[in-house]
Amino acid sequence: MSDHALNPAHAGHDVSHEDHPGPGLYLLIAAILTVLTAAEITVFYVPGLQPVLVPILLVLAIVKFAFVGMFYMHLYYDSKVFTTLFVFPLLLALLIVFGLLLLFSHLQGVLSFVVP
Amino acid sequence: MAAQPKPLAFEHPSYLHDPGGIWSWITTVDHKRVAVLYGITALFMMAVGGMEAMLIRAQLMVPGNHLLSAAAYNEMFTMHGTTMIFLVLMPLELGFFANFFIPLQIGARDVAFPRLNALSYWVFLGGTIFLHLGLLRSIYGLPDAGWFGYANLTERMYTPGINVDCWDIGLLILGVSTLLSGLNFFVTIVNLRAPGMTFMRMPMFIWAMLVTTILILLAFPALTVGLIFLFADRFLDTHFYRVSAGATPILWQHLFWIFGHPEVYIMALPAFGMISEVIPPFSRKPLFGYPMMAYSLVLIAFLSYGVWGHHMFATGMGPIADATFSITSMLIAIPTGVKIFSWLATVWGGRLRFTTSMLFAVGFLVEFTIGGLSGIMHASPPVDLQQTDSYIIVAHFHYVLFGGVLMGILAAFYYWWPKITGRFLSEKLGKAQFWITAWAFNATFFPMHFVGVLGMPRRIYTYAPHMGWDFWNYFESVNAFILGFAFLLFFINIIWSAMDGEIASSDPWDARTLEWSIPSPPPAFNFAAVPMVTSRDAFWVRKYGTVGTHGVAPAIAGGAAAAPIGAHAEVEEHIHMPAPSLYPLIFALGVFLMGVGCLVWTRLIIMGGAVTVMSVIGMVFEYPSFGKFDPAMIAESTLGLDHRKVGMWAFLGSECVFFASLISTYMVYKDRNLGGFDAMILNIPLTSVSTFVLLTSSLTMVLALAAVQRDDRKWSVFWLASTVLFGCIFLGGQAFEFTDFVMQGLKIQTNLFGQTFYTLVGFHGIHVLIGVCWLIVLTIAVARGKIGKDRSLAVEIGGLYWHFVDIVWVIIFTLIYLMRTVKHA
Ligand code: HEM
Ligand SMILES: [Cu+2]
Repeated sequence: MSDHALNPAHAGHDVSHEDHPGPGLYLLIAAILTVLTAAEITVFYVPGLQPVLVPILLVLAIVKFAFVGMFYMHLYYDSKVFTTLFVFPLLLALLIVFGLLLLFSHLQGVLSFVVP
Repeated sequence: MAAQPKPLAFEHPSYLHDPGGIWSWITTVDHKRVAVLYGITALFMMAVGGMEAMLIRAQLMVPGNHLLSAAAYNEMFTMHGTTMIFLVLMPLELGFFANFFIPLQIGARDVAFPRLNALSYWVFLGGTIFLHLGLLRSIYGLPDAGWFGYANLTERMYTPGINVDCWDIGLLILGVSTLLSGLNFFVTIVNLRAPGMTFMRMPMFIWAMLVTTILILLAFPALTVGLIFLFADRFLDTHFYRVSAGATPILWQHLFWIFGHPEVYIMALPAFGMISEVIPPFSRKPLFGYPMMAYSLVLIAFLSYGVWGHHMFATGMGPIADATFSITSMLIAIPTGVKIFSWLATVWGGRLRFTTSMLFAVGFLVEFTIGGLSGIMHASPPVDLQQTDSYIIVAHFHYVLFGGVLMGILAAFYYWWPKITGRFLSEKLGKAQFWITAWAFNATFFPMHFVGVLGMPRRIYTYAPHMGWDFWNYFESVNAFILGFAFLLFFINIIWSAMDGEIASSDPWDARTLEWSIPSPPPAFNFAAVPMVTSRDAFWVRKYGTVGTHGVAPAIAGGAAAAPIGAHAEVEEHIHMPAPSLYPLIFALGVFLMGVGCLVWTRLIIMGGAVTVMSVIGMVFEYPSFGKFDPAMIAESTLGLDHRKVGMWAFLGSECVFFASLISTYMVYKDRNLGGFDAMILNIPLTSVSTFVLLTSSLTMVLALAAVQRDDRKWSVFWLASTVLFGCIFLGGQAFEFTDFVMQGLKIQTNLFGQTFYTLVGFHGIHVLIGVCWLIVLTIAVARGKIGKDRSLAVEIGGLYWHFVDIVWVIIFTLIYLMRTVKHA
C-alpha cells in the first residue's frame, strides 16, 4: 500500500461507482440472507439438531456477517485497506471475548465455593 | 539550492497572529492553534496536578500527620493520578505535540478533519471541568476512589455523593474527545502524507503516533463500557459489580485493564517518538536501526493487548492465566530493549550536543530503563504478590511515567518550542531545571522501592512511626518539594521565553525533518508548496544530499542557511484552508450539559442532547463541500481513498471492541445469574421478525445508495424512506419487547440477566436510533435536492454505519436469542 505514495498518478484512480454491484446482485444477497435466517430459526426449533446447535448457528451467523460486509458494505469491491481496517479490530475483539470467557470460566469454578 | 529568496515569514504572518482576535481562537480549526489551546490547558492542569502531589508528599512527610484528612488525601491521590494521565500527559502528547507536528512532519496543511479536531479540544475542556464539578457542591466533592476506580468501592453504597459521579461521567466525556482525536490523527497519518512519504520514510514520531492512535481506537471502548456499567450501577441501581447479586468487581478490573495497559503505551509510545526525533539531530547521526524501531513499536502495541492480567495477579486468576500474562508481559521487554539499544547506538560515536533537550532525552533513557526493569520484576506473579499495592509499584510507574514519559515530553518542549513560538526557551534555566529534576526525581522516587519492600502500602493517608519508613518518607518529601521547584523554573522559562526569548530561525538545530523547512512559527497554511519526499530524513537530504545519512555527519553547521523548502517556489495559487466554525464549541457544550443533567436535572440531558444533535447537523451542512466527491482530494491522498470513508471504517473497527466488551459481559454474567428471569423469557418469534425487518432495511439501504449514484431522486427518496420505515419498525418491535418484559417483571435492576440484556440490546437499539435520525436527515436532504450523485458519499457513509448496526444484530440474534439455552462461561 505504501507504493501508492510513490506514484501519485496511480493513487488518483477512481475506486467509486463503476465497479459496484447493481440491484440484481443486492436482491440475490437479500434472498440468500433471508434463506440463511430462515435456516437459523429452523435449526433453533428442530429438537434433533440441539447437540450441534452452536456450531451450525455460528457458521450461519459468520456467513451472514460476511455477506453483508462484503457486498452491502462493498468490502469485496473496495480497497483492501478498508477490509484491513475492519478485520484487524474484529479479530482483536474476538480475542478479547475468548480471553474473558476463559478467565471467567475459571473464576466461576473458584467462586462457586464462595457464592453458592 | 536555488537562490535565496526573501524569507516567507515576512510575507505571510504566522499562525499566531493571522487572523487576530479572541473570536478567531474560539472558532479556530487550525491544527496549530488547537494544539496551542491544548498546550495551555494541559500546562495549567500540570500545575494543578503538581500542587496535588505536593500536598500528598506534605501529608506523608512525617508519620501520624494530620495536615490532610483521610478523605482529602483520597481526593488528592485520585485527582493527582487522573489529572496527570488524562489531563496532562495525554493532552500534551496528543493534543499539543502530535496535533502540531503530525501535519508538519508529513507535509500536510492540516489534519484530515480540522473541525473534529477543534471539537476534540472543546470536549476535552468540558471533561476537564466536569471532573472538578464536585467542588461546586463541597470542598470534599472531588473524585476519591483512585485513578483506577476499583469496584466495588465506586458503588453508590460505599461512595455516596457526587465524587465518583463526576469521575465516571468526566472520563466518559474525555473518552469521546480522545477517541475522536485518535481517529482524526490516524486518518491524517494514513492518508495525508506528502507525495513520496512512504511508511518507511515517515519520521519515527509519526510511526509512534500511528501506533498510538490504533491503540486508542481499540482500547478506549473497553473503558467506555466499564464506565457505562458503573454509571448504570450508580444511577439505575443495577449491580454489574455487586457480589450480592452474583456479579463480581473483577469484571471492572478486566475492562479497566484491557484499556489500562494499552493506555500506558498510549502514553509511552509518543514519548518514544519524541526521543527518536530529539536524539539524531543532537548526535548528528540518523536514527539507528530505523526499521527495527518501527517494527518494535508495532510489536509492543500488539503485545500490550495480551498483558492486562499482570495488574490482576492478586485477584487469583489461576495458574494458567497467571503464567500466560506473566510470559506476555516479559516478552514486551524484548522490543522495548531493542528500542533502548537503538537509541544508545544512535548516540554512540555521534557528535553530541548536550542541549537541554538532549539532556532530557538522555534522562529519559536512564530513568525509563530503571522503570522497565522493575516492571519485569512485577511481571513475575509470586514476586508481584509481595510487591503489589506497595510503594514499589508507585516507584515503578513514576519511573516510567515521570522519568520516562514526562522527561520525553520535556525534551520535546525544548526541542520544538522554537518552531511553535518562534523563540527559544532559555538553555540556562533549562539546564538548571534538568539537573535539579534529575537529582530530585531520583531522590524522591528511588527510595520508594525501599519503603515498598519494607511493606509500606500505597494509597494510605498516614502511617505509624517506627515502621522503618520514617526516614525515607521524610527524605522523599523534601526532594519532592525540590522537584516542584524545578517545575517552577520550567513555568518561569515559558513566560520568560514568550516575553523576551531569543528569536529562533526556521532550522535552529540543523535538524532532519520537514517541520524545520518552514518558518518559525509557521504560517497558517504550513507549506507554501506541498513538499516532495524522496527519502527518509527528507529535510536533511535536501540540505546536504546523502552526507550523514548513514554515519555521523561533519560538524560544519549550515542548516540555518539552507533555504526553507518551498521558499523558492511561489506560494501555491489556491490554498484552501478550512473556514472557522463555532459548532465544535456548541457540540462540546451540549455534551457537557448532558453530563450536568445526569447530576442535577434529568431534563437537562434532553436539552443537552438536542444541542449536540443540532450542532452535528449544523456542522455537516456548514461546508458547501459536504459529502462531495472530491477527485482532487482523493488524488492528493496517500492511499487514493476518501478521508471520510477511511475514518468511518476505522470508527467501525473501534465499535467492534465496544460491542465485544458488551457481548462478553452478557455471556459471562448470564451464567452467574442468581435466579429469577433468564434468557428463556426471550421472544424468538418476535425477534425473528425484527431480524428480517433489519435485513430488509439493509437491502433498501443499498438500493437507496445505488439510486443516489444514478442521480435518480425519486427512487433515492423512496428507498431511503423505506429504510427509515424499517428502522422504525425494528425500534417499535424492541420497544414492545422491552415493555413486555418490564410488564412481566423483568427490569434492568432485577438480576444479572436483566441488566446485561438491557444494556447490550439497548445500546444496539441506540445505534439503530442514531442511524434512523441520520437517515431521516439524509432523506430530507435528498428530497430537497441537496444530495445528488456528486454527494453520494454522504449516503454511502451513512449506509456503512447502518449495515454495521445490521451485522451487530446478526451476532446478537445468534448469541443472545437463538443460543439462549447455551452456557458460555
Ligand atoms: C517492560 C515493561 C513493563 C512491565 C513488564 C510492566 C509491568 C507492570 C506490572 C506487572 C504492574 C502491576 C504491578 C502491581 O500492581 O502489582 C505494573 C503497574 C503499572 N505500570 Fe508497568 N510495566 C511495564 C512498563 C510500563 C510502562 C511503559 C508504563 C507507562 C508508561 C507503565 C505504567 C504502569 C502503571 C501506571 C502501573 C500502575 C497501575 C496502578 O495500579 O495504578 N508500565 N506494571
Ligand atoms: Cu500494565
